Amino acid sequence: MKLVIFEDDRSANFYPLALSRPVFELRCGMDDLAAKIVRWAGVSADAYLVRDYLVDTFKARSPGKVNDLSGLRGQVLAVNGRLLAGSDAKPPGDPGAYWLDDGALGWLLTDKDLSAVADYAALAKVAEGEPKQPCAAKAFKYIWDVMLASVEQIAVDFKSAGRSGIEGSVEQPSAIRGSKGDVYIAPGAEVHPMVVIDASAGPVYLDEQVEVHPFTRIEGPAYVGPKSILLGTKLREGCSIGPVCRVGGEVEESVIHGHSNKYHDGFLGHAYVGEWVNLGAQTSNSDLKNDYSSVEVVLNGKKINTGSTKVGSLIGDHTKTSIGTLFNTGSIVGAMGIIMATGSVLPKSIPSFAWFLNGATTKGFGRRALYQTAKTAMGRRKKEWTDADQAMWEHIYELTRNERETAIRRGRRQFLGRA
Amino acid sequence: MDKQEVERRIKKVTAQVLGVPESDINAQSGFASDLGAESIQAIQLVAAFEEEFGIQMDEEEALSVSTVGRAVDFIHKVVQEQKGG
Repeated sequence: MKLVIFEDDRSANFYPLALSRPVFELRCGMDDLAAKIVRWAGVSADAYLVRDYLVDTFKARSPGKVNDLSGLRGQVLAVNGRLLAGSDAKPPGDPGAYWLDDGALGWLLTDKDLSAVADYAALAKVAEGEPKQPCAAKAFKYIWDVMLASVEQIAVDFKSAGRSGIEGSVEQPSAIRGSKGDVYIAPGAEVHPMVVIDASAGPVYLDEQVEVHPFTRIEGPAYVGPKSILLGTKLREGCSIGPVCRVGGEVEESVIHGHSNKYHDGFLGHAYVGEWVNLGAQTSNSDLKNDYSSVEVVLNGKKINTGSTKVGSLIGDHTKTSIGTLFNTGSIVGAMGIIMATGSVLPKSIPSFAWFLNGATTKGFGRRALYQTAKTAMGRRKKEWTDADQAMWEHIYELTRNERETAIRRGRRQFLGRA
Repeated sequence: MDKQEVERRIKKVTAQVLGVPESDINAQSGFASDLGAESIQAIQLVAAFEEEFGIQMDEEEALSVSTVGRAVDFIHKVVQEQKGG
């Protein structure tokens, strides 16, 4: 059987994180949605279908074909990348098209020739010709749903990984609470003295070459990715930290993608943070309203009730905040932004490529300066900013133009006291 | 719009954004060197000029303009190009 993982046409619901990655690369638990689909299907992915502008950057890191299903012979299982694989639904045994409640294709099991299929629309057209069935799997609807599910997924993924024990080092005095079977410290991981790992409420997985500095407390469920460093952190329950991150201060039930830094004090709760983000000292977010009501988020210009009392900030790739930045409950902060604190809580919606200065979105020093900063940040971790990256971000710049220009016009009026 | 009008409006906006008296502003005044504009204020000035004149400026070009006099020439040119007068 060949496995294809595809994005459907709902990617915008996962902005700003899905601006620069396929939806199935969103982290949830210990890994991303695609990794869970592969485990559930029991085979590696042979091909992927993604939005056109993501092809070149995704191809560079993907082992399978991208937007090219030619050469897939025999039975093909195509799975929607926003499904939470393993959620009480087994892979289909009978050929057919299995549709989600929201009208999108969940999965397709077929022997048909898919060589002419290069995008979701074409795949859905093929699926429409197949026997129609309901898809039992859970599908994420919005980016905050992925964040909220991550806590439970850490425990599910820990069990799947089937590892426990200490293969790295734990210096004394340190303490491990809860069952030792719920703690895994991978080879090369170093836990310095004066650290508490509390697995009494959920498992803790410290991946390879993680460093945990003194006075860190880690509450499970928790996952910390390879080469990340915790610096006297209060890592409250439910955190999933990607690789090569620097995390300090207090973090609770949050997902942080790789190569991001929250080095200093400040509270991050129920947040979803992209790659290459830098949160300046004392950057904090609110994740709970004072009246305990459900948090509303403004996504793509529409106000949406999340149905959850706890949603923090959702921050796109490459955004940087100044010291003392305060994000409101349910904030959406676009990608590739420079955000300066104002002393007050910032607006709930800041567009991508914004230079947010003195309380207003501006053009700042332009996007070339932002790309240079991104290149510099990546270079510090020995990663290259490629032509494919540049082309992708140019596309995202155009995609996010309208929202940003509306905010810029408002900002201009503010500077002249005309707002 | 003639250059005199452009200059009058640039001085008014500059005074408002930078919090300096209009009487302190002349054509030779450097935004940073004489009027104390820091980088964030320079960005604010660009935005404020765009709003005042109803124009769009290339941010890199605009931010390289260092004096009030050069701003008058630059903005007058942009106004001519974008608004025909």
